[in-house]
Amino acid sequence: MNIRKLVALALAAMLAVACSANASPSPSAAQSAAATVATSASAAPAASASAAPLAPDPAEAVIQNVEPNAQITFWTFYLSPTFDNYIKATIDRFKATYPGVEVKWEDHQATFRQDLDNSYAAKSAPDVINLSVGEGWVSDYATKSLLLPLDDKVPQAVKDVYFPGLWKEQLVDGKNYQFPWYQGIGVELINKQIFAKAGLDPASFPKDVAGLKDLCQTLKDKASTVCDIRLTVSDLLAQMVYEGGVKVISDDGKKFTFDSPEGVAWLQMYVDMVKAGTVDNSILTSTDDRVGLLLFSAGQAPFYQTGPNLIREVKSNNSQLYNNLAVVQAPLGKSGVAGKGLMGISVKADTKFPNASIALAQYFTNARSMLEFAKIVAIYPSTPKSYDDPFFSGTPSAIEDSARPIAKSIVSTYQDIVPTVPSKSDVNEIVRKAIESALFGTNPVPAQKALSDAVAKANALIK
Amino acid sequence: MTTKRSLTPYLFLAPALVLVAIFVLYPIASVVYYSFTSYDIVRPPVWVGFDNYAQLVADPTFWKALTNSLVYLIATPTLIVLSIVLAIVVNRRLRGIHVFRALYYIPAISGSIAIGIAWRWLFDRNGFINSALISVGAIKDPIQWLSEPSMVLPIAILLTIWAGVGYYSVIFLAGLQNIPEELYDAARIDGCNDLQKHWHVSLPGLRPQIVFVAVISSLAALKVFDEIYVLTNRTGGILDSGVTVVFYLWKQAFTLQHAGYASAIAIVLLALTLAFSVFNVRLLERGTAGD
Repeated sequence: MNIRKLVALALAAMLAVACSANASPSPSAAQSAAATVATSASAAPAASASAAPLAPDPAEAVIQNVEPNAQITFWTFYLSPTFDNYIKATIDRFKATYPGVEVKWEDHQATFRQDLDNSYAAKSAPDVINLSVGEGWVSDYATKSLLLPLDDKVPQAVKDVYFPGLWKEQLVDGKNYQFPWYQGIGVELINKQIFAKAGLDPASFPKDVAGLKDLCQTLKDKASTVCDIRLTVSDLLAQMVYEGGVKVISDDGKKFTFDSPEGVAWLQMYVDMVKAGTVDNSILTSTDDRVGLLLFSAGQAPFYQTGPNLIREVKSNNSQLYNNLAVVQAPLGKSGVAGKGLMGISVKADTKFPNASIALAQYFTNARSMLEFAKIVAIYPSTPKSYDDPFFSGTPSAIEDSARPIAKSIVSTYQDIVPTVPSKSDVNEIVRKAIESALFGTNPVPAQKALSDAVAKANALIK
Repeated sequence: MTTKRSLTPYLFLAPALVLVAIFVLYPIASVVYYSFTSYDIVRPPVWVGFDNYAQLVADPTFWKALTNSLVYLIATPTLIVLSIVLAIVVNRRLRGIHVFRALYYIPAISGSIAIGIAWRWLFDRNGFINSALISVGAIKDPIQWLSEPSMVLPIAILLTIWAGVGYYSVIFLAGLQNIPEELYDAARIDGCNDLQKHWHVSLPGLRPQIVFVAVISSLAALKVFDEIYVLTNRTGGILDSGVTVVFYLWKQAFTLQHAGYASAIAIVLLALTLAFSVFNVRLLERGTAGD
């Protein structure tokens, strides 16, 4: 073969590899429960209602020394176009409250994380960023010193606006990097027809996670169906903490400890369910909340844990199922904590306009803005004062709003009980592999060995 | 005047060369550089020398991904054989033959993501395959095909073959139509039956197309991503059963944010595809020369 052909081949191969490396179809984002709250909200008919413009209230100007003529950029996640009116009206009110500040708003969706990473790399990151707390994005960026610590920049009176557990919901080395924004409530949507077939009463749905094992066995035996439950694949240690009451790392942060008897017991529950064939393995290991929801919406799953706002999606996709729907509170784990926050708003570390950025982040999360948002979609404010409005005390008629009267009591208990984990994504990957090796394969690894091996590998990452 | 004349072709080439330099050569050079760094995209890269390559050698998931990618090459000969057979079948004057040709080509013009989703539905717990098997009494409970580690790769390969056969058969069809009819007449006079006719006339006549299809389909098989991404819902399959080199590269870069390590994987893939292409062409050229 002559040189020309070799060169041509080399170029062809390079092009092929370059193309493949660039072929990433923008994935991940929609995988998170957080994202689905937002996306499904955007599918909700009620959410399309336009927000009436509200007059600015001088009392909302709680941040001092906002830079004159500041120009700041604000990125949200999956909120456009459905909430355009609300976002734009709130920005207009903000500009009237803090005259002279210009806000450029952009909504990013499936490629949010990649867009944000690229913008940081290009030194053009937005000043104010809507980050998922539930998915651990705040801690991801904060541990890389890319976000502004807020504790010493926000007056105590402003911090007190939020539920204390939410203000501290994602501390990194003891510092807070986000204003808690809209919250979700975990509920179980139940297909009453399938439950009736299995002779089960939705009201007797287990109150704790440990009860799922027997429930799924009953559903398999009597209704010939499997359960669609999910491991939080993107943050397995958090699931261990909330569900299994597992202490995942030593107090000094130098040694992982998730191979304790509590950790093994937690994993063993899933091992037993997989072995008994009572769960859908694809859903169990899926990174995408939507996959299970679609199955449930199609009437093929007995129950599914999600946010109440997604009930509207069931309604629009399968009205027959909607009429056979029951909703109960999601079971608690051994930690006894209902959950952690969903969304926050952060400020980038090197913004030119820190006060204006903090002011915008705080403005979107204040009691008034949160209440207005809650009125157009089933999200729950991070601010206790919002719940004083009659909107939250009335008796809702629709099943999707059934959590509204009890929302305050649930959201007020939210707290992040997961300690800061070094090399979090790498450790999570080690844990994922360990868990899968215990759950699947022709010769599954015993739960204790799988976790102990994972602890040894994870410890090697701690320097 | 001479200088002016000698510059003219370069001026015409310049726009394309600039684009190639910006969008191909510069990114490739960057990937080479990043492969020697620890880089998480959001912070500046830090030079680590050959650490990423040393890590690759000791990374069992990379070897699994590489093995899966090499197994994926099974798709190439299967595709060639099926495409040639299909091209021969549709290379005849039949009423409605154009409709058949168009039907076989539909997967080639459908988006790979859409095809992947359709296949996922087929193999879903309550999908067509399970429903069909249950209805004929072959199974009692649905099989969880895509969460069965041993099934992910075969299903993905099947998908690739199904999606590619129409496209490659069009290439072979064009090749077949360029073979002079006289050669078939001569073979018939020599006593060849239909099978022998295609063995002795069609296949040698299709050699250029076979070389071309072998190279591009094996490159495509080595860099397979979409099928795995969609079929496994971005997970790569339980126990990394469907992880290929490009999928692993994507996961390292965009999920775990190890762009430096992912770049090292890309360089290895580049070397692999280059070597494979050279091998492919040499092998087939040798076959042609000996003819």
